[in-house]
Amino acid sequence: MTRPFRRTALYAALAAGAFVSVFPYLLVVLTAFKTRRQLSTTEPWLPGLPPSTANLAEILGGDFPRFLANTVVMTALLTLGQLVFTTFAAYAFARLRFRGRDALFWLYVATMMVPSAVTVIPLFLIMRELEAVNTWYGLLAPYILGTPYGIFLMRQFFKSLPGGLEEAARIDGAGPLTILFRILLPLCRPAIGTLAIITVISSWNSFLWPLIITSGDETKVVTVAISALKVGIGVDRGLMMAGGLIALAPMVAIFIFFQKYIVRSVVLTGLK
Amino acid sequence: MTGRRRLGDWYAYLFIGPSLLGVVAFLLLPVVIVFALSLFRWELLSAPVFVGLENYARLAGDGEAWHSLWVTVLYVLLCIPLQTVLALALALMLDRRIKGVRILRSLFVIPWMATPIVMGLVWDWIFDPRDGALNRALDLVGVAGPDWLSDPAWALPAVALVNIWQHTGYTMLFFLAGLQGIPKELYDAAATDGATPAQRFWKITLPLLNPTMFFVTVTNLIGAFQAFDTIFVMTDGGPGGSTDVLNFRIFGTAFREFDFGYASTLSMLLFAVILLVTLAQVRFFGRRTTYDLS
Repeated sequence: MTRPFRRTALYAALAAGAFVSVFPYLLVVLTAFKTRRQLSTTEPWLPGLPPSTANLAEILGGDFPRFLANTVVMTALLTLGQLVFTTFAAYAFARLRFRGRDALFWLYVATMMVPSAVTVIPLFLIMRELEAVNTWYGLLAPYILGTPYGIFLMRQFFKSLPGGLEEAARIDGAGPLTILFRILLPLCRPAIGTLAIITVISSWNSFLWPLIITSGDETKVVTVAISALKVGIGVDRGLMMAGGLIALAPMVAIFIFFQKYIVRSVVLTGLK
Repeated sequence: MTGRRRLGDWYAYLFIGPSLLGVVAFLLLPVVIVFALSLFRWELLSAPVFVGLENYARLAGDGEAWHSLWVTVLYVLLCIPLQTVLALALALMLDRRIKGVRILRSLFVIPWMATPIVMGLVWDWIFDPRDGALNRALDLVGVAGPDWLSDPAWALPAVALVNIWQHTGYTMLFFLAGLQGIPKELYDAAATDGATPAQRFWKITLPLLNPTMFFVTVTNLIGAFQAFDTIFVMTDGGPGGSTDVLNFRIFGTAFREFDFGYASTLSMLLFAVILLVTLAQVRFFGRRTTYDLS
């Protein structure tokens, strides 16, 4: 008697939680396709019938596609930079011997403790000194050379590979580059995939740094553009949610197709 | 031999070079700069003036700054315990073979991907007193909801809820991984000794999750202390400063008032608080025994 009851209670609790998790997404989708009239006459959680693409058309007809393209470029470049520089650094820390290796690695670990909130002001001033405010260079430079956290994760992964892997190649006279590209990288695909996904998500969603370093339209990204929609006269929820839908859709797609990499990001930290 | 060794060294330095440049120029140098600037008065237009500890003296008597620190601490206390307990409870519920468990896990993680700016706007609307989903739903059951984000008593919990919503599922993944790393024999042994489910949880599960607990609380706390995005779009620090967390005040002092010296001093305060809390956690978790089963 109590077992089926407990099972039902378990499912009810889980279903309620799952609903709360998804509800805000649902609201974005429903609202993006409502006309202003439907918005004021229907409950927020009900669809507006017939669905209207007026909001999407309006937002895509303005400067928004440009900001979207900027976000795509920023995300692509930051991810590429992170992958290349992080892989090289992590490889060196994990598999090569050189003077100062341990001291340098501890330096990296120590900088993982520096909160980004603390570095924002000096970074802005550095970029101002370099006349890089409101440029692509200023937007990208601080985060394109690889993050200590990423290097830490990748180093853990490189370390987990068997030590004898390089020996045979080394005896055959292969240099560090050949070993990295021919032997180790093919084994690293899962870790690289995970790092790529994490970087794509955090770059795509980033807000504070783009807000501070950019002001013109040339380098404005989607998050900054969307945040400005609330400040205008008379908040247009439909328009805001249409913008939100466009910003969220790629993230949800990534989530659906690359879920296993996200789960692996948890395992990569080396925790058990 | 030494020639070869040297060559290997150069390869390594070449590989590390770009990231080292990043670490030095964009992480270490900024820390030095922010400390140095905290000793200056500087409004960007004129030259910086060295004022020694004047900014720190101002901080000591600045009621609003301490209020911000208090709001930040409250925000963290609203977020972290609830989020951690919820995540652990979810992990326990989902660490079993029941129908639909994979789908459920996915649904719980999906908020983590959300762009905080977008979700800030969505929740801002959910909390709207007139046409927001929350009060509409409360109306249906005959409850008049408050004006969440304009009420100083409710604004901070409402903003904290968004953070909890976003991070609980991802935190759950860590606990799930932790739970799956606990050897099942331990539970079997405990069961034969007649341990109750509660005893098994407190004596086996929780102690063995210690490393996971340490990791998620440290990273989530550091994140929560730097709350910004949702507050920026939802409350702008208001009403009446009730959501004016430290990171938001730093932003305003620097980029709205252009008081870069004092903003740097506030940054040093935030840095110190985060560092102290993290060290306290290291001590707290380090002192408790973890069982090495290897």
